[in-house]
Amino acid sequence: MNPITPIINGLSITLKHLFMKPVTLQYPDERPKVAARFRGLHALNVSHNKAKCVACYLCPTVCPAKCITVEAGEDDNHDKYAAKYEIDMLRCIFCGYCVEACPVDAIRMTGEFELANYHRKDFIYNKERLLEKK
Amino acid sequence: MVNLTIDDKQVTAPKTATIYEAAKLNGVNIPILCHDKKLKPFGACRMCLVEVEQMKGRQIPACTTPVTEGMIIRTSTPDIVKARKMVLELLLLNHPLDCPVCDKAGDCDLQNLTYEYKVDSNRFTDEKFHHQIDYNNPLIERDMNRCVLCGKCARICDEIVGFGALTFINRGIETKIGCEFEEGLNCEFCGSCISVCPVGSLLARPFKFKARFWSLTKQKSVCGYCGTGCNLTLGVKDNKVLTTLYDENQGFHNGQLCVRGRFGYQFINSDKRLTSPLIRTNGRLTECTWEEALTAVASRLGGGNSVAALATPRLTNEELFLFKKLMLDNVGSSNFDHSAGYAHAALTEGFTRSFGASASPASILDVQKTDLLLVVKTDSYETHPVIGFEINMGVKNKGIKLNIISDKRGKLSKLPGANTLVHSPGSEVAVLNAIAKSILDQKLSDGSAASIPGYAELEKSLAAFTPEAVAATSGISADSIQKIAKDYASVEKALIIFPVGQSYPGHNQEMASAVANLAILTGKIGKEGCGVLCMSEKSNSQGAVDMGFYAQNGGMNGLQILDACKNGTVKTLFIAGENPVVSYPNGANVKAALDAVDFLVVTELFMTDTAAMADVVLPACSFAEKEGTFTSTDRRVQYVKPAIRKNVKCKTDFEIIAALIAKLGGQAPSAPASVFAEIAASTSGYAGMSYVSLQSEGAFAPVNVTPKLVASKAAQTVSAESGKLVMVTGSALYHSGTLSQFGEGPMHVCPEVYVEMSRNDAARFKISEKDIVTVSTATGSIKLKAKVTPRMPEGVVFIPYHFSEAPVNAIWNGSAVTVVSIAK
Ligand code: SF4
Ligand code: SF4
Ligand code: SF4
Ligand code: SF4
Ligand code: SF4
Ligand code: FES
Repeated sequence: MNPITPIINGLSITLKHLFMKPVTLQYPDERPKVAARFRGLHALNVSHNKAKCVACYLCPTVCPAKCITVEAGEDDNHDKYAAKYEIDMLRCIFCGYCVEACPVDAIRMTGEFELANYHRKDFIYNKERLLEKK
Repeated sequence: MVNLTIDDKQVTAPKTATIYEAAKLNGVNIPILCHDKKLKPFGACRMCLVEVEQMKGRQIPACTTPVTEGMIIRTSTPDIVKARKMVLELLLLNHPLDCPVCDKAGDCDLQNLTYEYKVDSNRFTDEKFHHQIDYNNPLIERDMNRCVLCGKCARICDEIVGFGALTFINRGIETKIGCEFEEGLNCEFCGSCISVCPVGSLLARPFKFKARFWSLTKQKSVCGYCGTGCNLTLGVKDNKVLTTLYDENQGFHNGQLCVRGRFGYQFINSDKRLTSPLIRTNGRLTECTWEEALTAVASRLGGGNSVAALATPRLTNEELFLFKKLMLDNVGSSNFDHSAGYAHAALTEGFTRSFGASASPASILDVQKTDLLLVVKTDSYETHPVIGFEINMGVKNKGIKLNIISDKRGKLSKLPGANTLVHSPGSEVAVLNAIAKSILDQKLSDGSAASIPGYAELEKSLAAFTPEAVAATSGISADSIQKIAKDYASVEKALIIFPVGQSYPGHNQEMASAVANLAILTGKIGKEGCGVLCMSEKSNSQGAVDMGFYAQNGGMNGLQILDACKNGTVKTLFIAGENPVVSYPNGANVKAALDAVDFLVVTELFMTDTAAMADVVLPACSFAEKEGTFTSTDRRVQYVKPAIRKNVKCKTDFEIIAALIAKLGGQAPSAPASVFAEIAASTSGYAGMSYVSLQSEGAFAPVNVTPKLVASKAAQTVSAESGKLVMVTGSALYHSGTLSQFGEGPMHVCPEVYVEMSRNDAARFKISEKDIVTVSTATGSIKLKAKVTPRMPEGVVFIPYHFSEAPVNAIWNGSAVTVVSIAK
């Protein structure tokens, strides 16, 4: 093969890309569009003004990173609810198993991916922070 | 043995087996829902259907059908699987499917079977149940919407517990499990019904929503309350004991527990537990380091015989052995004892002289193997409820004749055919002697009895105990005494049981010898189903005796030690876990003694009334946090290992004593195992035992008996002058010692002391149920609630002894029978 050919081929690719739309996002000025099934920060679903979670402990059981802490409580109607619900985002691997395991569709994963923070303790998301924002 | 074919496999099974049992024996698993190995076959659920070729392929329940020779059984043909699926579909039709919020999930037979048989849809539709759920009971939550009507709860409560609190009510689709008049549960709260319920209909309320079954670590242990020595499985999560779990294969009792064992575990993780050593400075107990506390204690242990010790028989064998060593070798004092001295006298003095051994020549297993049971005091049920279950089963299923001599009636008196002879309080030894006399008079004694040492003396001493004479003082007719003597002597196997404990001062060496005489005279000893079982009070009472932790060789006994504290001869008192201020007789005297003694050290789990008086308090560990062995009342040596890690700021009594030995210049052992090796080498009956051999299940320490007949002295009968009553003390079913006050379960159902009296007395003193009455004696008076029951004879009242609030020892000086006055 002519030794020049590969160089020309290479340059032509470079040249082509010079005129294409860039793939890089100018983050944070430009924001990505996350897919609907993106697995970002969790949210606890709400229905009738209450978290849907019934503290069945299936998500902490299935979680491979063991980062969910649930403590059940008994409310005034003797029903079970999550008195404590915490996810340690530093350990979470965003596998989504918790969502799959939930028998009452109480937890989902949102498009929220900007989770950086300054302190370790800020990565512990308690029930208050996880409750879906209306 | 019969031969049969199960799933094309040639197998054999005992003639009495059902198909289910035969299959299980041969490793074939047949699903069950309503069957339990402890209960009689019932056949309610049809989960266990199998096909038997000889029955033309009909489907029959395996749990109720006995095997026959040559049976060809198939357990899982497509037809059977289809039928089982249908059973499940029908059950799930009305079932709420609450699994996410149902505490049973993970341990639920219905859930497991539904999963196994892949029942994921239902062909039928129907309404769910709308039964009211009982949330009010503090211990047992009943949700009949989840019930599959297997009847196990009602059956166990009837067949084993003998209470009968639950039953089927209504008919047809409306059938449910309920209590009488649809009221709340008011029973013994043994929780047996919870343990067998295959679904989440009956749940332990104290554990409600605390954790999921699968997240619990199952730790095998031994109950720390009474001497029955039941085996427990503790459910542990995050280093906390959250519940007790049922294991039908555990122990002689197949996992049966009483209310204390099942619901009394909360003291282990109580936030009232002591967590720091305390030392008295300027009159107040203040926190200090272990080093300071131990140095202070060690500096006071040098005084030889002016040092004395009291230990609770809830310590392990290793701890008691080491404690004794500390006292004898390093302190140089033989003043140590447990259980106030008199509570173990039946063993250490009575059986020692009558049997030549300080242990009972019978085991709990003999209860169901005997033909006739002679129970002294109906309280035997309250003190050792799981032995009570054995009695229930023996009497109901095996037709064991039950004779009871007691100062009150009780639950055992209600068993079918039970013959209860109620005598005047305190006359039990006289009655037993009269039975012995009657055996001699009716020439019912064993042929070899006359050659046993002591026969002549016994015969002479019994002259005063003619049935007629005893009838006059005891209130039991001479005929009845003669009849019991005849029944007892004429059956082939007979067993006598009696409880001992701090609240039964009358159950002492005299009673022990009196019952021993009966067994020896009639030759009912050393054979299966025969003998005498002295039911020791606490988890290691027998062990404390075996370890020799009691007054011997001139040492002072428990009560003498307290007197010596008062008069100044004992200057340092070391109390390990005992709570004499509440549990020893004459509380004022105990307090005076503890006040008077120069230096008081207490190792405790809680700030008890005794610990509050100490100069140094050392926080110790419960049975769930330490390693060691307990010896049950029938001398089963059982190994306990830590179920949870102990609080780093606490030390086990073993560590405390070892540290003190080291401080006193001795050679401290490193671990309980090495001490147990010493115990095995030096204690009669323990030879050959080791932690390794005890790990899977306990071992019996054999008892060698050299019988001797001993004349036993009967106590003077006490009679109350008019307007007064006689008081006996004892144990309440829900409690054991003073420790159960820290178990929430027992305190939910029996939170306070009460005085139990007959209806006639109540009417005479115009007292009704729950009235606050004042009971007084020369020593003092207490205010307590009245409880009017039909079981008390007229003129007799009963007050249990466990409580720090209004302790009975304010009015009780340790006599078996106390005359009291009572006023509203
Ligand atoms: S996404 Fe996965 S790792 Fe994260 S909490 Fe859920 S189960 Fe756990
Ligand atoms: S009883 Fe069993 S099947 Fe029924 S809700 Fe509870 S766990 Fe589920
Ligand atoms: S707790 Fe015991 S006594 Fe009460 S209903 Fe259940 S089995 Fe019967
Ligand atoms: S309550 Fe439980 S044990 Fe009792 S019948 Fe119903 S399912 Fe069976
Ligand atoms: S208190 Fe006694 S009878 Fe009850 S479970 Fe414990 S050892 Fe068994
Ligand atoms: S287990 Fe046989 S019928 Fe229920």
